[in-house]
Amino acid sequence: MSSRFRLFDRTAVMGSGYIFAMVNRMQMLYYVLILPKHLIHPYMMAGILGVGFLSQINLLILAKYLTSNYFVLGYRGFVQLFSEKVVRLFAILGIFFILIKVIVTTLGYVEIVHQFMFPSMKTSWLIFVLMASGFYIASQGMEKTIRLSIIGFLATIWVILVYIPYFLPPIAETHHLYPLVPGEVSLHSWYGLLMVWSALSGPEYLVCLGPWIGPKEKILKGMSIGNALSVFEYLVLFVACLLYYGSPYLEKISFPVVNMIRYLQSPVFERVDLILISLNMIYFLYLIALFLLCLYGAIRIAAGRINIKTNRKGFLGSVIAVFICMLIINGWFWREGEELNVWVTLQLWLGAITYLLVPSVLVIAMRWKRGRS
Amino acid sequence: MKIFLSILCILLVFSGCSSPFVENNTVEEIAPVTFWSLNKGEGGKLEITTVVPPVTNEKKKLFTLNVDLLKQGKKEFNLRFYRELKLGQLRMLIINEKLAKKEVITLIDTILSDPDVSPRLFLVLVRGSFEDFLEGERKVQKNLDYYLYRMFRHYERRNQGEMSIVNLHEFMEKVYSHYSDPVLPIFKADKDNFTYEGTAFFNENKYVGSINKREDQMFQLIANDHYLKNLPIPHLNVSLGQVRSKVIMQVDDQFKTLNIQVKVKGRIDEYRGHRNILSRSEMNRMTHDIESYFQRETVGLVKETQRLKIEPLEVGAHTLSPLVHPMTRREWLDHYEKMKVHVKYSVKIEPLSL
Repeated sequence: MSSRFRLFDRTAVMGSGYIFAMVNRMQMLYYVLILPKHLIHPYMMAGILGVGFLSQINLLILAKYLTSNYFVLGYRGFVQLFSEKVVRLFAILGIFFILIKVIVTTLGYVEIVHQFMFPSMKTSWLIFVLMASGFYIASQGMEKTIRLSIIGFLATIWVILVYIPYFLPPIAETHHLYPLVPGEVSLHSWYGLLMVWSALSGPEYLVCLGPWIGPKEKILKGMSIGNALSVFEYLVLFVACLLYYGSPYLEKISFPVVNMIRYLQSPVFERVDLILISLNMIYFLYLIALFLLCLYGAIRIAAGRINIKTNRKGFLGSVIAVFICMLIINGWFWREGEELNVWVTLQLWLGAITYLLVPSVLVIAMRWKRGRS
Repeated sequence: MKIFLSILCILLVFSGCSSPFVENNTVEEIAPVTFWSLNKGEGGKLEITTVVPPVTNEKKKLFTLNVDLLKQGKKEFNLRFYRELKLGQLRMLIINEKLAKKEVITLIDTILSDPDVSPRLFLVLVRGSFEDFLEGERKVQKNLDYYLYRMFRHYERRNQGEMSIVNLHEFMEKVYSHYSDPVLPIFKADKDNFTYEGTAFFNENKYVGSINKREDQMFQLIANDHYLKNLPIPHLNVSLGQVRSKVIMQVDDQFKTLNIQVKVKGRIDEYRGHRNILSRSEMNRMTHDIESYFQRETVGLVKETQRLKIEPLEVGAHTLSPLVHPMTRREWLDHYEKMKVHVKYSVKIEPLSL
């Protein structure tokens, strides 16, 4: 049985389309839904553009590693670059980062579903359903999971058209967009910028997918387009929220994007928000599956079992461990309704830090290695 | 297989053996009410009224409950009626004027925080007793609640300037916006009639006053819809139709004067005076009369909002620009209160064709 269960096989290399879809959907994860509330002021539109530009520079640095020979080798590349012990240390750190990311993404999404779709349902059921589907997708193997990115992208990108009515009268009030210059820059604005940066994080996990993506020349192109599209989507969402709520009201809404969608009415189906929340699940699930695979890989590296074949039991065991962590956090430490609770704040900082450090550390290590040899 | 079983066991422990779905929406067992009418009850309580069942062909009943909390009404209702009340189809919230004077925002907040209720819920103020109207009309008109909803929806959709129709979101957005104050339509209800009375003004979230039907026309023209399908001026024996307005508000740099320029275009629907309006000079005189009438009325309306120190006309929004940092609401209102108002109308009337 275990001989057929291969998670990390490679039969083909995914091109720029997959990279583009993956980067874009990674950047559209949970934080986007709460971002407008923390940006508040119209002049933060410039903030989004600015941080988007910085993110592009960061991707250029990341691309330096992704186009190197180390990247294609995957795990062995890391071992060549660092030593095996260091890689294991990194893997242990990675387990922690990925775990928090998966947990916050899942619980955040579950909270939205719970608040808007099934208020009377136990959240542990929702977590179970998400994790079980995530496990199913992930158990198809890394290659198929990456292939799903295009489907996840195509199934959800059209949602941006739904926001068009918010740019037109009578919903839109132009004077909500003024003033465009900041009066005083408060700590809160800096926090908003940090949040944009953290929301844009995610592409750094591409370093785990070495053997599957390529060819070299197309990687940067795919990432850049993905990043640009994400920045554009951020802007559309933020401006739509501003036009719809106005800054003072926006500050008081806990899930601005979801609440905004509730205003739409279609003659056929009244609660458009339910459809859109469910649609989001497609790429949330896909990314949860991807991160579960990365996590499993990291566990194998950390445990020094990289050369042993993958088996169903081990993978299921690690998924169950994640699931139990989630239930514990959800039961005791997750405070619903307060959307910037400890965990979300923790992930905010961790996301920002990994996105900042992973590319530069790798590139510095490469330089250093080249200098020595 | 063992592992899967053990997962299920863990889950059952966590979920406490209950079914994950608690809500039950079988149509025969629920009462999806379409409106709630709120009134001031005895001893500081709330009086909630609704008509059930709203959908099926049963005999309709009027339910009135005296409760301390709004949501308590839902529970009390379930304990008394054989169907379960559901708020998913709630379309109108009808608040009595007396209650509105005391509190509006707490009621609206409660409704807003319910994920079942759409932010498109219509808010209406009622003077008199809506309950009496329901009691009287229920026997004559079977689907009364539905037709009332259709009425609001009809006038909301194209902003055709008969009534100020306001929904939950619009109201809340204006409550929080520094440079505008919310308004609500106000209706008068008695045993036989339910009549549009004008627009009720709010100062942020406090109900402060209302304007009557005549003044309301000016409000629709310069602030709310910028369109009136029908504008009778009994004073001049004339009625205008399809009136469209373009408003330019300018506040000078020192915030001392407010200039309002309104361009109005319409046509004469009806004339019962003694002028020969087919002649050009008579027509010009007539236009001039209409202009000065509009000016007088508009100045009156603006003065009223200045007196109440409120901003339903959103004059302040015209002072905003992309590069200037806005002042606070209080500062602005202090300026606004003392502002001199100049109103200039230019009316263009399409020639009468017979």
